[in-house]
Amino acid sequence: MRVPLFDRVTETFTRHLASHSPRRQFLGWFSTFVAGSGAFPLLPVQRAQAESRASVPVPPNTASDFDRLAQSVDPTKCNYWRHCAIDGVLCGCCGGGVHTCPPGTQPSPVSWIGTCRNPSDGRQYVIAYRDCCGRTTCASTPDCHCNTADREMPIYRPQTSNDIIWCFGTTSTTYHCSTAAIVGQA
Amino acid sequence: MLASTRRGRKGMKNMRRFGHRCQNKAFAFFAFLLCSGGSALAAPPAPPQAAETSDVATLPHFSDHWALIATNNVAFTLYDGDKGTILGTVPAKMIDNLAISSDRTKIYTAVSMWSREDHGTREDFLQEYDTPHLALEHEIDLPPRALAVFKQQNLELSADGQWAYIFNMSPATGVSIVNLHDRKVVRTVDTPGCALIFPWAHNGFSSLCGNGSLTNVAFDGKKAQVTQTKSFFDADTDPVFEQSQVNRRTGQALFVTYTGMVYPATLSAQPVLGQPWSLQEAASQPKAGTGVQELAWRPGGKQPFFWHTADNRLYALMHTGPYWTHKQDGTEVWVYDVVQHRLLQRIVLPGPTASIAVSPDTKHPLLFAVQPSGKLFILSAESGEVTKTIEARVAGFLVVPTP
Repeated sequence: MRVPLFDRVTETFTRHLASHSPRRQFLGWFSTFVAGSGAFPLLPVQRAQAESRASVPVPPNTASDFDRLAQSVDPTKCNYWRHCAIDGVLCGCCGGGVHTCPPGTQPSPVSWIGTCRNPSDGRQYVIAYRDCCGRTTCASTPDCHCNTADREMPIYRPQTSNDIIWCFGTTSTTYHCSTAAIVGQA
Repeated sequence: MLASTRRGRKGMKNMRRFGHRCQNKAFAFFAFLLCSGGSALAAPPAPPQAAETSDVATLPHFSDHWALIATNNVAFTLYDGDKGTILGTVPAKMIDNLAISSDRTKIYTAVSMWSREDHGTREDFLQEYDTPHLALEHEIDLPPRALAVFKQQNLELSADGQWAYIFNMSPATGVSIVNLHDRKVVRTVDTPGCALIFPWAHNGFSSLCGNGSLTNVAFDGKKAQVTQTKSFFDADTDPVFEQSQVNRRTGQALFVTYTGMVYPATLSAQPVLGQPWSLQEAASQPKAGTGVQELAWRPGGKQPFFWHTADNRLYALMHTGPYWTHKQDGTEVWVYDVVQHRLLQRIVLPGPTASIAVSPDTKHPLLFAVQPSGKLFILSAESGEVTKTIEARVAGFLVVPTP
């Protein structure tokens, strides 16, 4: 029976390799490569992969109504992503900003917190809703009065309860408006 | 000729005079018609109005159909639900609170204010108004109260009129107990990890705790004794609404969770918990879960429940939505038989509604429904028919008397 040319070439090559390459030596090289691969600087690649994984949208069954409609452009709107559990007047509508108290007011050193998803990077962040205190309530337009409730709890769970006037530890405990500062990634 | 001429001239003069008189009279007649509007031809002129002295209106006994409604964040406005008219005003802001005594002769407001509007010395006090005159009769100094937007369960009264309970938060939590007969704070009890007040039938109250239990404070004027129940609801996944209901005459409570589970309890130093039931199952629907994409009929709003104790019906403000919509406005009121755990009636509201309350009578109860825009609707709680619509500038909270 005539053996095809390709098979003959392959057989000759593998026999040559087997007779001229010590198997233990090959296993040694191979294991060195596998064990040493951890020392190669693969981290940036991993980070890039992690980034792309985190950017994957939250699975539909875990995204709340607020998550699905949230935007990351205009912090003076109730549907700005950080406002997933806010109750009050947005300080950005009152001369302040998303983490800035308006002139003449004082931020409360303590706050309630929320966990909100940023649609721009797909990550969940812990948000500190700090009230700005020491002036009567800001008379902004009604669209700046927000009341959202993702993961919002009753007053017997005060750290995530947004009906409380969070003006503890300030010179005056009168409520003016509320901010939404990022604390860190959840 | 002369004579006849003279007579003729005289006749002419008389004719002219007569003509003038006629003209004058006609003018006067038409002027009279014009001035009187032609309506009182024969009527004698009206006598001048008498001088008046300024006086002050008083109120009859507090009617079943009256409600005190938080308006414009500056006051509670007393409305007659039958006429849709205002009867009087009791000042109280968004952070203040109001309760009506069981005999309806007193209205109490728990108030916080600063000596210079937004700064200066803070003062907390309980104000006592008499109902017939809405006159401020007494003020009782308080330790610093919890400051939160309208929450009825931050100020409660005992049914016998002896005690007022005021929830404090600094942010450590506690309750000030006021003897309303002596008009002074007699005790402040620490309730760490717990909040709100649900009074017992006699001498005590319970508070809801962050671990899903109740803390119970017995106080008869001498010594306070505190007990704690085991956890009976899961505060992590399905917490009980702050606006859960209590009957201050019996100490019976209905604790309702975000998903719509109702935990009945009889409150005391050793509360007795009843069999829980589901608002949805009582309406022949599947129990609602905690999925953020799980659409179901759910309770929600600023003041989403009213327990009509006289006929043992629970009114729940319902909407369709997923979990975490416990503050969402309701579109319907579902009326339940609390004993049979059965849906009796669905009332379709005229629009999204933040808060409800029901008059305490059984004859023709009224349903008060407050829209987020501040509009107040008054409906027949029996037929659901709207009887009054008022641009009342309501701030989302209302108080009705107990039966």
